[in-house]
Amino acid sequence: MKKVKGLFLVLVVVALTACNSNDDGVQAGIEIPGITITDDIDCCSAEEALQVYRFLQTLKIVPELQTDVDGKYNVFAYTKTGDFHNGYNEVFFVATKKATGNYIKNFEISGLNPLMHMVKMDMYHSTPVGPVAESFNDGYLAVKRTWVSFIMNTSDAGNWNLSYDALILGAKGGIEKHDIVVNALPDGQAWVKSFKAGNDTYYLSLVNPSDFETGTNEIQAYISKKSAKATDPYQVATETFIVDIDPRMPDMGNHTSPNNTPLVKQEDGSYKGTINLTMTGLWRIHLTVKDEQGNVVAGDSELSSLYWDVTI
Amino acid sequence: MIGVILLSAILLGDTLTTSSQNLDEVVVVSRGQGGKRSTKGQVATIDEHLQELNHVELVRRGSYAWEPMVNNMQTERLSTTIDGMKIFYACTDKMDPVTSYVESSNLQSITLNSGLNGNPQATGNIGGALDLKLRKAGFLHHLDSRDIYKFNANTGYETNGHVQVYGADGAYSSKQFYVNGGAFYRHADNYKAGDRRKVDFSQFQKVNAFVNSGYRLAPNDALEGTFIYDRATDVGYPALNMDVAKAEAFITSLAYKHLFENSIWESWETKGYYNHITHIMDDTTRPDVQIHMDMPGKSWTSGFYSTLTSQFTWLRVPNGVSLNIDGYYNRLFADMTMYPGGAAPMYMVTWPDVGTLNMGAAITDDIRLTDHSTVHLSGKLSWQHQRLNNEEGYKALRVFFPGMHQQYHQTTGRIAANYQLSTVNHQFNIGAGWGSRAPTVTEAYGYYLNNTFDQYDYIGNPRLKNESAIELNTSFNFTILPSFNFSIDANAFFFSNYIIGQFENRLSAMTVGAEGVKVYGNISHATIANATLSAEWRPVKGLRWQAKGSYSTGRDDEGDYLPLISPFSYQTRLSYATGSLAFQAEVKGNALQSNYGEKYGETKTNAWTVVGLSGSYAWSHIVLRAGVENLFDRYYSTYADWCHIPQKGRNIYVNLSFEL
Repeated sequence: MKKVKGLFLVLVVVALTACNSNDDGVQAGIEIPGITITDDIDCCSAEEALQVYRFLQTLKIVPELQTDVDGKYNVFAYTKTGDFHNGYNEVFFVATKKATGNYIKNFEISGLNPLMHMVKMDMYHSTPVGPVAESFNDGYLAVKRTWVSFIMNTSDAGNWNLSYDALILGAKGGIEKHDIVVNALPDGQAWVKSFKAGNDTYYLSLVNPSDFETGTNEIQAYISKKSAKATDPYQVATETFIVDIDPRMPDMGNHTSPNNTPLVKQEDGSYKGTINLTMTGLWRIHLTVKDEQGNVVAGDSELSSLYWDVTI
Repeated sequence: MIGVILLSAILLGDTLTTSSQNLDEVVVVSRGQGGKRSTKGQVATIDEHLQELNHVELVRRGSYAWEPMVNNMQTERLSTTIDGMKIFYACTDKMDPVTSYVESSNLQSITLNSGLNGNPQATGNIGGALDLKLRKAGFLHHLDSRDIYKFNANTGYETNGHVQVYGADGAYSSKQFYVNGGAFYRHADNYKAGDRRKVDFSQFQKVNAFVNSGYRLAPNDALEGTFIYDRATDVGYPALNMDVAKAEAFITSLAYKHLFENSIWESWETKGYYNHITHIMDDTTRPDVQIHMDMPGKSWTSGFYSTLTSQFTWLRVPNGVSLNIDGYYNRLFADMTMYPGGAAPMYMVTWPDVGTLNMGAAITDDIRLTDHSTVHLSGKLSWQHQRLNNEEGYKALRVFFPGMHQQYHQTTGRIAANYQLSTVNHQFNIGAGWGSRAPTVTEAYGYYLNNTFDQYDYIGNPRLKNESAIELNTSFNFTILPSFNFSIDANAFFFSNYIIGQFENRLSAMTVGAEGVKVYGNISHATIANATLSAEWRPVKGLRWQAKGSYSTGRDDEGDYLPLISPFSYQTRLSYATGSLAFQAEVKGNALQSNYGEKYGETKTNAWTVVGLSGSYAWSHIVLRAGVENLFDRYYSTYADWCHIPQKGRNIYVNLSFEL
């Protein structure tokens, strides 16, 4: 009996020792390629850095938007595909310390300004953009997100450049009119449309068409207002609208689906509704824009000529 | 002695385990007497044999794969089993009733139990239950000394559509072992309707091969295996917008049979089975196709049943009881891809890979009350669980039914009683029953299935209640000795929660050209009633005159007519047989279908009458059969011809059977 007790004691001690040695190993165990974890309070902890690193793995870097600030910091921009396309593009920014490669938690990206040069007419205009880039939740402090919605693609008619300002731990930087390429969408996809209300021009940018699948989907969009000076980025409209949606399949005799709900303004400034898609293929989402009182502002009430095209 | 019973049990299949009293009707497909049979003999299709049965009509969508209707009810309300095995069609447009996956040469007989009194394996059989009995060579009688070899060959030709039929099969039987098998080939070109009008897309081609075998493990124990491969290709469906590139079935089973000696137990059979069907539609040969579509469907089923029969006397009353438990798991998947010129393909899941697990227990009891009167009782309780295995299909259906679940279960049952009183020259039957059925996969989960009958797209409804019906039936048969027989037969079905497509104006049709959308729903009640009067007269030996008239009616809860209910139909035959020679003349027809289901998109069918002649001559090992169908080349279609496609015009056939 005594022998058994003794053995038990030994086992407990071994187990506790093993526990202790593991505790120390947690941080040492995380290795992120290209990043050295130090006790720098400006930067991410090992867990935070890993989270950011993993998130960035799901995106692709946009080389044209990369810049160096003060010789000490790097700023990188990411999109889903590593380039831009017609319509809504989500853009993510991170800033790193050159010395360690670690992500900086607090920095600012502002003044995002895309500019199109229309070659023939030698005119310039901008396009809808999101507000100041912000961290999208506490888990991703070090990733700032914003968006830009290109109303046309790069072509012989014109080309795009982009500028932004960066403020990193007191150091100012950014890029100035870096040329970028905006790709056209394939046939059957049209994710940004404009309408006129009074003397103003508004743009309807569809946010999440790539997420649509057969069944019930949330549909999200932004409504932006063309700036008085066309070269200023178009900000999200302060007016409130209601947008009725009527998804149709032009290839199937304008087949439609039931129980769709209109796009209604949310607290974050975007518009959300519900869209039901009964099958894959080309869906033409006819839009009727109404003001808060329900008066039609743009688009027809039946098979509106204002529409997005989404092919799923 | 027991060996003899085993022999006959296997040879005749249905006679031992099933009392002849609960068989309303039998078609004997292969050799034998005492049942009905198409005058075309062995070469006839199963559909042509089925036409001989009372209560049966066939829905035609082309010249192949007709859908049997029993008591004016279609597949949804019938049970069709092959030797007790469940098998489910794989086409969302019902192009392939399961009877199309076997050939006459595979079968010994087809039994029909009208109404709720089904065979033990039948579930959901409100209208009736068909069981296709496979043809098995059987073990040799223990008194026979020499093994038996048999060989059969059949060939047939029909002028209309250049139908060609070739079949051959062989059998070997010993006391220990038997095996029989064969192959069959049919080919038909487009047929011509009356007035020599060609019906495009009515061709078909089919091959079928089967092997059945048995091995006797002990004097009272045997193992039996069956295998059928059936493949139809290039099948035209003039009533539909599409044809079929391939319809293929693989049907197999393994059974263990035991006979009891000196016991109240009689026999015990346990069978395990597996079958699968692949069905590929094809519209590439059709002109003016707006949007090309691919519509494949798949069905696979695995199951078992175990039947124990017993003969005993209780309170001095002899009872014949059979107990059955069965279970099956079936999966049905179908999808559709549409290719609009240039644009992205459109894809949808039309049967969302529905897995159905069904378990049931059944009992039948034949009670001989007196020498003249018997009571037949039958009942079955089934439980089933269904799961939508395809996420995409499930999500799509949720658009229409946001609260729906991915899994459902249903409990169904049936009970029926029949009393029969017989004397020398009359027989009286009265019966009653109650039964319910679960909605079919199409009715519960079908997705935009276009129905060319009414030009509506149908959406299934997962919230359907089970449909149930009370059945009353009676028949009276009397013989004025020696030669005149007269019978009347009537039944009525009173449905609750009758399932039928209902208009849904809020939904938009998917199929180009469709009128709108219907969603399956329960209507509170409906009634279907049928009555048949028949007479037979044999004035002199060899000469026989038969006549039959049937009237049916079907109404929904608002008193409106249900679709696909037969108008008054009649048939009369005069036949003469002497020695090896036989002749028959037949006149059959339908009255004008005035009570058609206009509300359900049905249109009126005109009256028609056709005349047919047939004859046969047996000479040594050879039987020659020949005849003319639709002698006067009438252009007509019946109420059951989908979209009024016309029936065959004049057709002359010649069939030759050789048996060794």
